[in-house]
Amino acid sequence: MKIIAFFATFITGFLLIYATVDMPDWGDPNSPPNAHVSPRYIEKVILETATPNIVTAVLADYRGYDTFGESVVIFTAGIICLMLLRRTSDD
Amino acid sequence: MDTMDFIIGKYNYWIYIVLMMIGFYAMIAKNNFAKKIVGMNIFQTAIILFFISTASKTGGATIPIIKSEHLAAGAQAITAPQYLNPLPHVLMLTAIVVMVSTFGVALAVLMMLYRKYRTLEEDEIMAILKMEKD
Repeated sequence: MKIIAFFATFITGFLLIYATVDMPDWGDPNSPPNAHVSPRYIEKVILETATPNIVTAVLADYRGYDTFGESVVIFTAGIICLMLLRRTSDD
Repeated sequence: MDTMDFIIGKYNYWIYIVLMMIGFYAMIAKNNFAKKIVGMNIFQTAIILFFISTASKTGGATIPIIKSEHLAAGAQAITAPQYLNPLPHVLMLTAIVVMVSTFGVALAVLMMLYRKYRTLEEDEIMAILKMEKD
């Protein structure tokens, strides 16, 4: 069983490494993630939100509802932990 | 020097893939549920490192906080090559929240399993379940 798991891991890793040939180089300023959406955020962040920290501005201003959903996820996980770990009379 | 440039450009991805495969192997091959959960955490950490590495820019880019001299010079002075890409940082903040939540719930489920079966080994729990069925 362990040998099958090892071969599955090896084949998956080989396919992923084969796929990195098409990835952009590390630190390339013109790579797709750095060239397409993020320049607009960097250039407009002061005009639109007046917040110097771009990460905070995106987190709390542009994606405020997403951050609210994040806190719902944390709250749900906390409630589930409380429900699972509650001591009942039968144990 | 083409081979050297290729290795320097891509070796960060290879490190994350090795880390991810360590977590993947732990998830599917280990017998202990606690070790499986640690493997899941290693897997998620590798994905987060991969996303953060796509944010980097060579050529003098700094952390995504606007410098005070750029603030004084006005919004026209701010150009994209001066700052790192902020979006992977923000998205991975969300991913870290999901990671912590899944880790907490998984540990709580593990504690319930241990209270019921007094073991965390997968094969021992399967043997107990089979015995109860017969």
